[in-house]
Amino acid sequence: MRDVYIIGTGIHPWMGFSEKVFADFAAVAVDNALKDAQIEWKKIQAIMAGIFIYGGNAGHLSGQYLESIFGETGIPVVNVYNACATGSASIRMAYNSIAAGETDTALAFGADVSPKGFLTAKSDNAVQDRDVIRWKMGGLPNPIYWALECRKRMEKYGTTEEDLAMVKVLMSEYGSKNPDARFKKQYTLEEVLKSVYVCDPLRLYEICPVSTGAAAVIVTADPELISKADNPVKINATTMGSAIYGDPTIRISALSCPAVPEAPMLSESYSASRQAYEKSGIGPEDVDILELPDNSSWHYLVYLETCGFCKEGEADKMLRDGMTKIGGKLPVNPSGGFSSHGEALSAQALWQVIECANQLRGRCGARQVEGAKVAMAQTYGLMGNSGTTIMSI
Amino acid sequence: MENMANKVARIPNLVDWSTGEVRLMGAKCNSCGTYFFPKEHYQHRPDCSREGVEDVLFPKKGKLASYTIQYYPCPAPFKTENKITPYGIGLVEFENEKIQITGIITETDLKTLKIGMEMETTILEMFTNEEKQQVVTWAFKAVK
Repeated sequence: MRDVYIIGTGIHPWMGFSEKVFADFAAVAVDNALKDAQIEWKKIQAIMAGIFIYGGNAGHLSGQYLESIFGETGIPVVNVYNACATGSASIRMAYNSIAAGETDTALAFGADVSPKGFLTAKSDNAVQDRDVIRWKMGGLPNPIYWALECRKRMEKYGTTEEDLAMVKVLMSEYGSKNPDARFKKQYTLEEVLKSVYVCDPLRLYEICPVSTGAAAVIVTADPELISKADNPVKINATTMGSAIYGDPTIRISALSCPAVPEAPMLSESYSASRQAYEKSGIGPEDVDILELPDNSSWHYLVYLETCGFCKEGEADKMLRDGMTKIGGKLPVNPSGGFSSHGEALSAQALWQVIECANQLRGRCGARQVEGAKVAMAQTYGLMGNSGTTIMSI
Repeated sequence: MENMANKVARIPNLVDWSTGEVRLMGAKCNSCGTYFFPKEHYQHRPDCSREGVEDVLFPKKGKLASYTIQYYPCPAPFKTENKITPYGIGLVEFENEKIQITGIITETDLKTLKIGMEMETTILEMFTNEEKQQVVTWAFKAVK
């Protein structure tokens, strides 16, 4: 296996619902990545494209749509979907293609256009599609799943409403320093605690909305391209995990969960992160920056535990002690997280990788973590999807 | 029990009242011992032969394992004739079956919800269909 480096990254800043054609803002992300890598389009030998599910033909074949803009060259274009971990799948495939020697330089790409309004069922077949019953009879929008787990956590470990609000305070402080974030307003603890409940105990400012955005990452093992790149970032491991039997988490779209745990919570992310630690030889203690999926304040806390940065029930203390701040032992989400961006499903995993790469390359201005050498991007997708990417400089 | 005449579940094979009690319908795998709800939501153990899956009715009563209070209306295709927000949603644990099942909470003062309290299976009337039937979903309420 060859060493694989990130040499170029690009994003189109996150935004709300857009009437724009996806390919227009996706092209911005890819253009930025090409410029950053200082290479021409013709150097790309494979496209691993994250699809978006509300885009019909354009969404399902996003890689082909993209290729036609920049010029078709006959290279392999693979379109992939793993829910909110879609970007993890695209960068993993790009990495594997290069590490195995199939290609030298590949593009991992994802763009997502959120539907106007709420996410909801995408078929009408209740027997076949596990998502239909929860929307037609269950009365279960996504945040309810997080609230049910959050309530269990509060009962078990004493997580407080102030802890949940403090996550938003921190995320909004960092988001305000990130020019590419969608939400830049900074909130005080009091303001967060005064925001309305969406699903008690989670408040409006403690859950992330859906967004529209695009992200592109160019990876290579070509020595010439690596040598001329600006601070190339080595990918130490990029993995994907799925769930393990007996995981007690109530998974989005499910109507039931095991009452007696036989596996860790969020076992898909446990699986992805442990694979990454094993493959890279890097453990949680070596990580200088963590980008985790803070879909809600509950996720921020539980992910520190799932990924082994502390024991179960200890994340609240890490937060309260300031260990997760920029300047603390483990800066978490210096980007401002999903809380400041919202979810752009197929793009967000790549955006997390890009934030990590930008931090390692010292490009993050007011939110820069000083001296970071190792960063980890962790994703979470519904129904047992997750990916971990560990990078170093 | 509620008057169940002229009521129909919005989607079949989830909730049953033919025995005189409202109970949830699921399945059990006799090879790996896992219970499923709904019955098509298979969750076999990795080493299971998957032989002998049979339909089951869950007990009427269970314990509240978690809950939330939902403040905004669930978007379509969910629909109810009457405004139900804010509404409770619970995870009710059926101990012997080792499963927790979600459901809207009805007829219960939401301020009294507490993890561990006893809950029973019931129905929630959603709307009247073109055949003038009451379309229902399953739900839970506190045992009084």
